[in-house]
Amino acid sequence: MDILNALVVFANFVLVPATAYGAQLALGALGVTLIYGILRFSNFAHGDTMAFGAMITILFTWLFQSWGLSLGPLPTALLALPFGILGCALLLLATDKVVYQFYRRQKAAPVILVIVSMGVMFVMNGIVRFIIGVDDQQFADGERFIISARDFKTMTGLDEGLAIRTSQGITVITAIIVVAALFWFLNRTRTGKSMRAFSDNEDLALLSGINPDRVVMITWIIVAALATIAGTLYGLDKSFKPFTYFQLLLPIFAAAIVGGLGSPIGAIAGGFVIAYSEVMVTYAFKRVFGYLIPSWEPDGLIQLLSTDYKFAVSFAILIIVLLFKPTGLFKGKSV
Amino acid sequence: MTNPYQDNRGNKDRSITKSSQMGGSVDAVRPLRKSGGHVDEAAFLIGDTMTGGYGTGADILHGCTLAVNPGEIAVIVGPNGAGKSTAMKAVFGMLNVRSGAVRLKGEDITHLSPQARVAKGMAFVPQTHNIFTSMSVEENLEMGAFLRRDDIRKTIDQVYDLFPILGDKRYQAAGELSGGQRQQVAVGRALMTKPEVLMLDEPTAGVSPIVMDELFDRIIEVARTGISILMVEQNARQALEIADRGYVLVQGANAFTGTGQELLADPDVRKSFLGG
Amino acid sequence: MTQSFKTPLLFALVGAMFIFTGFTSSWNSALSIFNMGLISAIMALGVNMQWGYAGLFNVGVMGFVALGGLGAVLVGMPPVAEAWAAGGVRIMLGLLLALATIIGAVQLWQRMAPGRTRGVAMAALLVIGFFAFRAVFDGGVAAVEAVNPAVTGNLGGLGWPILIGWPVGGVLAAGAAWIVGKTALGLRSDYLAIATLGIAEIIIAVMKNEDWLARGVKNIIGLPRPVPYEIDLQESPAFVERMQGWGADPVTASSVVVKLAYAGLFGVVLILLIWLTQSALKSPWGRMMCAIRDNEIAAEAMGKDVTGRHLQVFILGSAICGLAGAMMTTLDGQLTPGSYQPLRFTFLIWVMVIVGGSGNNLGAVLGGFLIWFLWVQVEPMGQWMMNLVSSGLDEGSPLKAHLIESAAHMRLLTMGIVLLVVLRFAPRGLIPEK
Repeated sequence: MDILNALVVFANFVLVPATAYGAQLALGALGVTLIYGILRFSNFAHGDTMAFGAMITILFTWLFQSWGLSLGPLPTALLALPFGILGCALLLLATDKVVYQFYRRQKAAPVILVIVSMGVMFVMNGIVRFIIGVDDQQFADGERFIISARDFKTMTGLDEGLAIRTSQGITVITAIIVVAALFWFLNRTRTGKSMRAFSDNEDLALLSGINPDRVVMITWIIVAALATIAGTLYGLDKSFKPFTYFQLLLPIFAAAIVGGLGSPIGAIAGGFVIAYSEVMVTYAFKRVFGYLIPSWEPDGLIQLLSTDYKFAVSFAILIIVLLFKPTGLFKGKSV
Repeated sequence: MTNPYQDNRGNKDRSITKSSQMGGSVDAVRPLRKSGGHVDEAAFLIGDTMTGGYGTGADILHGCTLAVNPGEIAVIVGPNGAGKSTAMKAVFGMLNVRSGAVRLKGEDITHLSPQARVAKGMAFVPQTHNIFTSMSVEENLEMGAFLRRDDIRKTIDQVYDLFPILGDKRYQAAGELSGGQRQQVAVGRALMTKPEVLMLDEPTAGVSPIVMDELFDRIIEVARTGISILMVEQNARQALEIADRGYVLVQGANAFTGTGQELLADPDVRKSFLGG
Repeated sequence: MTQSFKTPLLFALVGAMFIFTGFTSSWNSALSIFNMGLISAIMALGVNMQWGYAGLFNVGVMGFVALGGLGAVLVGMPPVAEAWAAGGVRIMLGLLLALATIIGAVQLWQRMAPGRTRGVAMAALLVIGFFAFRAVFDGGVAAVEAVNPAVTGNLGGLGWPILIGWPVGGVLAAGAAWIVGKTALGLRSDYLAIATLGIAEIIIAVMKNEDWLARGVKNIIGLPRPVPYEIDLQESPAFVERMQGWGADPVTASSVVVKLAYAGLFGVVLILLIWLTQSALKSPWGRMMCAIRDNEIAAEAMGKDVTGRHLQVFILGSAICGLAGAMMTTLDGQLTPGSYQPLRFTFLIWVMVIVGGSGNNLGAVLGGFLIWFLWVQVEPMGQWMMNLVSSGLDEGSPLKAHLIESAAHMRLLTMGIVLLVVLRFAPRGLIPEK
């Protein structure tokens, strides 16, 4: 029995990638949950918002790369990120002005807004495809690994290597910074508190003199930042392909609902629940068990589900939560 | 025809703004002696012969007049569906006043939005959904003072002096408090703007009699500081006992007006509203 | 302009568009668009039933359509005897085992007293059941997929006439709808939306990966047809003679005739469905559905089983989508799971319903034809526009190449804008609900 090597394999193939993925989902789910909390609808365009933000970031990354600008070992995309956020925020604010504002004034039913967001999704999807195409785009540069499998092996003398990619490290660190900043903003600043108040009780917020237009505007800006960061990190970690962003909608919504729609803490917890379950269920545990029980030679891969069914995992968790606890782990605001 | 944007085809989602609906039916109350024309022109706040209703709907108020002076408690009572809350909301600018006027310190504020009225020194405590349940007591108070740019610490301390229990629970989520405590938070939140007029919509709805007495004591205390209080109450007898002015509304119009004691002594009022 | 005048006019306009295409480009392409328009109209009818009658927000149309296609394949394709012999029984056994596990778990949950023991027991049953299922099932799959993988590698179908596959496709979709509806109905509308979105993705994933079922991404081609083949017509002297007698080219004519035959079949289904849905809407059942939609609380207070009715209409609507999916697969003559895109098969149908008029069956049908026509025509129009826009640029300019290449994506943009414009300025659609 070789626990150490088993652990390293587990960490290398499950823990590290799932943590990075969980952080990306959490950032995405935070955006969804914020829109839900403040604007009171499920934004189906969120995946495409992420794609749009990531696309602007990529375009700036390419520009900087062509200028020879770089961050050394870090990906240039980090430098381009603020511009991506700006571009995404402009798009979202314009969308709000042209599309959503009207329905707010009309006090439209939430389900109408969801359908409207579907139209916005079409348009954003079209814009992204129009500008950057449907193909995979590579924009990661800088050092590929924080620690490569080979270095790890020579360092520890173990048979198995533990690789941590730069993108994974950056994802987790950025996510921690962003989440800390967001929570500080929501819980400590006057504007942040006014957003929570607005989300909690709109009528009373209005009575208290909170300006709804300002709250909505700030929400869109924050959502733009969250979506762009999540989209860029996902693109750095995996690759940028517009369609995969649309498909992220399911795990992101699952994360937000599992955590409790409207609850920021829930969104983060939900993101990790979904990510860990997805990776664990679709990982072939053969090698882990190979170290743990050397005498046992299983003929299968000891994989619960093929990776093609990762969506089934989000879905199954979603169904379980809907069946047994529709308000989510952290008591969202809806039933 | 209904607004198609609001047609959610039967989905019972929480809507983006829950329109506060009034109970529509008017009780079959025999028309009482009108005591209209009692207009206190010099009153601090006056809703003068207001007529109007929600949106473009039918009129609910018919020439209703309400007034209150600094340090006074004015209580609106009446049967279900008499338009008590509606009258108060009219004073606060939450429905269309088609004729008549609302004046504060002699200034016509009929066409100001509720928010603007808050800035003018009016505060309103709705009957339900009157606190931010997910936020702490202190954050509730801070949100009450959202429009203020000066130091609000002193006002918060004053509220805690008035409602000591809130000081003890300042970091607790307001939604976790008892019914009476939540009403205290609601009143405290409204006081945070340092208003000159405080309007309360059935502050004692759903609280026990003991808590009710305590709340009334607090309201008297607030009035002593010189704030005008305009209040809608279901518990007519207890409310009139503390009232400097009482308004009995029936079908959206003033039926009886007088001091609290006068109304309590009036045999007609007793018979119709106070159960003898 | 009154609605009773506007409705036929709108239909006439859409018809004119098809006839115009027939004259300007070719009758063949006009008919192809028309046939898919018929199918789109049926899908739109299904979605309209769910949304218009009951306010159910289904964004899993793609999944139900694909399941319908699977139904057509499973009925229409000939069985692969070898594969059945190799592992068919084992696969069926595995599936039965899975079903038994789920039924057992549900029974257990309902019969045992609530508490920790119940949770543990159910989890244990599910885990054991899952491994047992995999143990039986995996071997069967491997054996089946090993049988002549280049041509079959699947179990095949029943080898019955493919028309029987249409209702079967509907039944399959209804089954999936039942599962989703049981869990997500009665909650917020968004939850049903997410759940349907999920089930659609899963259905597509299953169809892509379970090669034993319908060859996965290797696609099923050469589905049997309910109508004659063009080549047979061209080889039939009687047909050639008649066509030449009418002065038509037999090759073109054969394909037009085949398309007309399909159009006839689909048209019959569509008219039947319109008749059924319209009479359903006017029946006590339809009035009850409207009552529930307009005031759920009142309906519930009057003793109507709201969630039960919703489940019913959700299943019916999904079944119609499945039926349309089976028809589409039949028309294509192939099942290609890789080609199912949510934007095309879910959201486009929604655009049809919204543009046509939610709650109005004729509106949904009109929307189906109109939006499908636009969807097909926007691409050449975009191409033309891009050529115009970029005409000032150099021949070799990369921007020009990019613009022309991107014209294909104009569709999504246009559809999104059409949807948003209709939602904003004509929220009741072209033919509003009465």
